[in-house]
Amino acid sequence: MQPTTFDYQNGHGACRIGRGWCAGHHGELFQGAVAGEHGMRRCLMTLPCDNFQSSVSFFPDSSGELRVDPPHKAKSRRAVQYSLDALGFPHLGGVIVVRSNIKESKGYGSSTADCVAAALAVADALRVKFTDEELARLVVDAEQASDNVMFSDAVLFAHREGVVLDDYATPVPRLDLVAIDCEPDRLIDTLDSAPAPYSWKDLQYFEVLITALRRAVRTHDLPLLGQVATASADLNQHVLPKPGYADMRRLARERGALGVAVAHSGTVMSVLLDPADPAVEHKIELLQLDAMRLGLPSTRLRTRGAHAHRRIA
Amino acid sequence: MSSHTATALLHAFRARLVPLSDNLIAAAFPLMKIFPAAFCVARARQDGLISARSTIVESSSGTMALGLAMVAHWSGYPLVIVSDQACDQVLARRMQDLGARVEIVDGPAPVGGLQRARLDRVREICAQGEEYWWVNQYDNTSNPAAYAAFAAQLAGECGRIDCLVGTVGSGGSMCGTADYLAALFPDLHVIGVDTFGSVLFGQPDRPRQLRGLGNSLLPRNLDHTRFDEVHWVSVQEAYTATRRLHQITSLFCGGTSGAAWMVARHWAEQHPGKRVVCLFPDDGHRYVHSVYDDKEMHAHGHWLPELPAAPREVRDPRDAADAWSSIRWGRRSYAEVVEEPCRLTATAMG
Repeated sequence: MQPTTFDYQNGHGACRIGRGWCAGHHGELFQGAVAGEHGMRRCLMTLPCDNFQSSVSFFPDSSGELRVDPPHKAKSRRAVQYSLDALGFPHLGGVIVVRSNIKESKGYGSSTADCVAAALAVADALRVKFTDEELARLVVDAEQASDNVMFSDAVLFAHREGVVLDDYATPVPRLDLVAIDCEPDRLIDTLDSAPAPYSWKDLQYFEVLITALRRAVRTHDLPLLGQVATASADLNQHVLPKPGYADMRRLARERGALGVAVAHSGTVMSVLLDPADPAVEHKIELLQLDAMRLGLPSTRLRTRGAHAHRRIA
Repeated sequence: MSSHTATALLHAFRARLVPLSDNLIAAAFPLMKIFPAAFCVARARQDGLISARSTIVESSSGTMALGLAMVAHWSGYPLVIVSDQACDQVLARRMQDLGARVEIVDGPAPVGGLQRARLDRVREICAQGEEYWWVNQYDNTSNPAAYAAFAAQLAGECGRIDCLVGTVGSGGSMCGTADYLAALFPDLHVIGVDTFGSVLFGQPDRPRQLRGLGNSLLPRNLDHTRFDEVHWVSVQEAYTATRRLHQITSLFCGGTSGAAWMVARHWAEQHPGKRVVCLFPDDGHRYVHSVYDDKEMHAHGHWLPELPAAPREVRDPRDAADAWSSIRWGRRSYAEVVEEPCRLTATAMG
């Protein structure tokens, strides 16, 4: 017999309707790899962005079955199942409602945000809390490769293992961006893209970039951050070329921007600007005009600052 | 020795970054060449060029030989160093103490001089069997590739860098460091320091008194298109500047460091607001009885009462002579500058 209602107060333990929320991102400030004891470890640091978010509600019941709405959010369903397993309630069922304004298959980290929000909703329903590290592992298990949106501080994140390689102990500095979709008609499935075949020489360059990245984040050195993002994009362009990159690089230079950040599992690229630049509004207008001339859609955005980027609603 | 201990030892040889003025930072290495030595050996091991029964061979009469002696000693490889009379006794004794075999060639080859004689002997040794592996710092791409850790140190400790100044011998340190830094700072201004009579940047070959920079052969590791400026410095200027560097800053550096410092200080003064990093490749211990000995300095006429305030600028490398000279190299190839010196392009003048 399928139960149609669920007694949240007196039902199974201390269950309640759980809610979770997580922001998306706007591509990578850094993407590369470091040498590890057992081969290379791929890692990244995303450009967190509050304009995009996913919120998940979890209505637990004793059906033993998990249903998700919309039905294609299979990764969210998996994240809920793994969370329930991890918390010792593998047989609990329920309805998972995912509501997100993050475009899918563009490189904005929609599925990671969904998964993080889903895991947080489960934790909320069971009145427990995951640590950032537990959350990272769960989400990587659920979607195989994830990004670092679950962390409030900037981290260098091994996205295929769910491990933090370096914690910068401060959020990514605030940046203004003009996000341009270089292939508006194309969708990319993260799992379809093979891991980048970096050489040992690429790893040498990444070593330089990672030390510069740490300095840039810790000292809020925006020009250096822009140089790291551009250098990272340059190196990845050699390995996995993306259409439109040369144009973005040229626009960034011509308009006096800080640099370019590329969404490696998508089609968007962001021109980075200093919010404290007196000419920033003008530069944004010009860049949006430039994008229009290239026939590409653009959006102006601001990265997340020091405030919370995810919460249990 | 475990690889962790070797890594820790290598770490102890990192450059000290010393601010010499508002916009000039010295990167003073105790022995810079230990980094390419360690990296060349590590890469050769990973690429299967050497095995547990290999013997390492190199031609050098300077710090590369000492660096290799230390690395070979740590990692348990026998080492043969082919050198000439320029190899001083202290250096030879240190290498022998670390278990290296030091061979001194009899004299110069009829064509190609001492360098040719040394390379001929290296080829002879390597022909004895497959277990002999020649490092070949001049052409081995692992030499420039070794400088990522140093470039990372610079970017991490200094942030933005506008100008890199250093002496050139194999091209490894300058081209390698500039290559890694230019990934971050594409406008990096790169200044190479050479000496008169070195063929590296188009001077005719002739015997040189200043060792540790310059070359009689063109190494493949020298990428001329990395350089915005090239300076030529005499032995007198280099040694006097090394002493002046010591007297002013108390940094006790080898005889080529003064040459780099003289050039870097001038550029830094001319470009306030630009951050300059200057490479000092070794410390002064080897030079106690030469550069740091007043009697020796005067006896060889190496002491200058006054250092030149600025270089004499030339348009053709063959016009550089006698005293500190410079050229706007403009990231051109060797052929563009040396074979067509009159065609000075707009970029070169920029």
